Amino acid sequence: MTFPSSRDAASGLLAKTDHIMLPILRSKHVPAALPVCAARRVRVGVKAGVLACGMACAAWAAGAEQSGVPTWKLSGYGTLGVVHSSERNADFTSSVLRADGAGHTRAWSPDVDSRLGVQLDVAQGDWSGVLQVVSEQGLDGSYRPQLEWANVKYQPTPDLALRLGRIALPVFLGADSRKVGYTIPWVRTPVEVYGALPISSSDGVDATWRWNIGEVRQATQVFVGKANKDLQNGLRIKAEDITGLSHTIERGALSARLSAASARLDTGIGAELFGALRAFGPAGNALADRYAIVDKRVTMVSAGLNYDPGNWFVSAEWGRTRTDSLLGDGSEAYVGAGLRVGAFTPYAGYAQIRADVPTSDPGLPLAGLPPAYAAVGGQLNAGLNVLLSSIPVQSTWSAGLRWDAAPNIAVKFQLERVRPREGTRGTLINPQPGFRSDRALNVASMALDFVF
Amino acid sequence: MRALTFMGTLPRMLLAALALGATVGFTAAPASAELVVVVSSRNPAPSMSADQVAAIFLGQAGRFPDGAAAVALDQEVGSPQRDGFYRQVTGKTPALLKAHWSKMVFTGRGQPPREAPGDAAVRRMVADNPSMIGYIDRASLDASVRPVLILP
Repeated sequence: MTFPSSRDAASGLLAKTDHIMLPILRSKHVPAALPVCAARRVRVGVKAGVLACGMACAAWAAGAEQSGVPTWKLSGYGTLGVVHSSERNADFTSSVLRADGAGHTRAWSPDVDSRLGVQLDVAQGDWSGVLQVVSEQGLDGSYRPQLEWANVKYQPTPDLALRLGRIALPVFLGADSRKVGYTIPWVRTPVEVYGALPISSSDGVDATWRWNIGEVRQATQVFVGKANKDLQNGLRIKAEDITGLSHTIERGALSARLSAASARLDTGIGAELFGALRAFGPAGNALADRYAIVDKRVTMVSAGLNYDPGNWFVSAEWGRTRTDSLLGDGSEAYVGAGLRVGAFTPYAGYAQIRADVPTSDPGLPLAGLPPAYAAVGGQLNAGLNVLLSSIPVQSTWSAGLRWDAAPNIAVKFQLERVRPREGTRGTLINPQPGFRSDRALNVASMALDFVF
Repeated sequence: MRALTFMGTLPRMLLAALALGATVGFTAAPASAELVVVVSSRNPAPSMSADQVAAIFLGQAGRFPDGAAAVALDQEVGSPQRDGFYRQVTGKTPALLKAHWSKMVFTGRGQPPREAPGDAAVRRMVADNPSMIGYIDRASLDASVRPVLILP
């Protein structure tokens, strides 16, 4: 399938709403004037509030015990990476929340994997606090640091930890540590699984309880909270009633994690398109209700397994995401394995994401409409289908080499063959008129990961 | 935080570190001596399996098998005792151990154990604190501490 070019949309409403040609989450218009979003007031200042709470509570925690001195620790991590893609008509990148990537914007892009994270820890007795900011490319193309973690932990017993503040969601096998490249064998976590999580953090409370069944160690984590993320393009994405569970099982070299999370999601993405659709009566309303991200329940479940006796490892994961919206419903899976030979770790893997919903929609019925209305309706249908084509269907074969060059530094080389399928653009962003789905692209990556 | 200003100097620092790493090389620690995992002689804990010891040192368990709170005490980074202990008990190289703790630290789940310089310091701190667990060369054993696991 060939993607509609912006020239196809050069007339009428679609030309005016060129933003809907942009990939999902990347719409640049301001939603305030739009009917769908007018009632949805964005709550600002949550981030600042969490930050203030994190620091104030940490300071309070530090003074909570009379004896001893609080211990402070500054640490960090980062990746310097560069990525090349053979597809010149779209950008390969690691997250849907990036402005650009490798292929179309640049033949070699430093923005796919490069980032820097800095963390401040304070601890005294049963109390501790953590504050972590991460600088990486955002939707606006800047590296403005974002607050990733900000919470206070109280550990009344060795087996129970309670936290208040911001956490990265512990969904999938490693969503909460995926940004720390040093901790994973590959250059990045598989984009099919981790590239498009609808929510990735929660501002609220969580509890982790450790317990045993004989020699098998269990850790059960439950969390509730909300999230309000600035997409840095005039839009926000808001998640209410986040609830979830993450359960980890460990025995010797074997570890497994089961996770489930759910939230009510709201964002103004595509709001102008849905507002226009609603002008077409019941059929338009039905389409808008189905695809608009307004008060939509999203769920993510996953099961992952890791076996790592030291000289080799294998890691596999399966997950399913439901959004009941234009974000689509998908099933994700990957399997990867590697050998450790001295300081070298050659590895290989396969990942895929499949859409569990159609990635196109017939849209408004146009038969019988007056020609002028039918023309606008046809453009709206085309716009809707551009949005739906961003529901990813994709598979990737990868192979690479990790070299632990120094105690805190890993250097990685990775080659991938990525195939967006079924007419979608897969996890690629910025598709251009010449982009064609179902055609494999080659991606080469180099990364230097460090921790300090 | 002006993280961007870090980005300028970081590559040079990293290149220097990289060059250093390449020169020094990656030599496996010999650690031929026999190691013993010890607790205070006042700690009634029974003998432990390697898996139980590993869980405490990796921050995955906070108690001895009898339920008492347990606090791990490490030897210094780069010491043969430390490298030998983790290789035998967890199968992890220093790099893998660093990766493990990076994951724990940057998800706020925990901090690595405190370190003490050498067998005598570890023995003294473990002897003084019934909740501590450490590892020392078998030749450094005395009556103040009690072995709970002997590593061949």
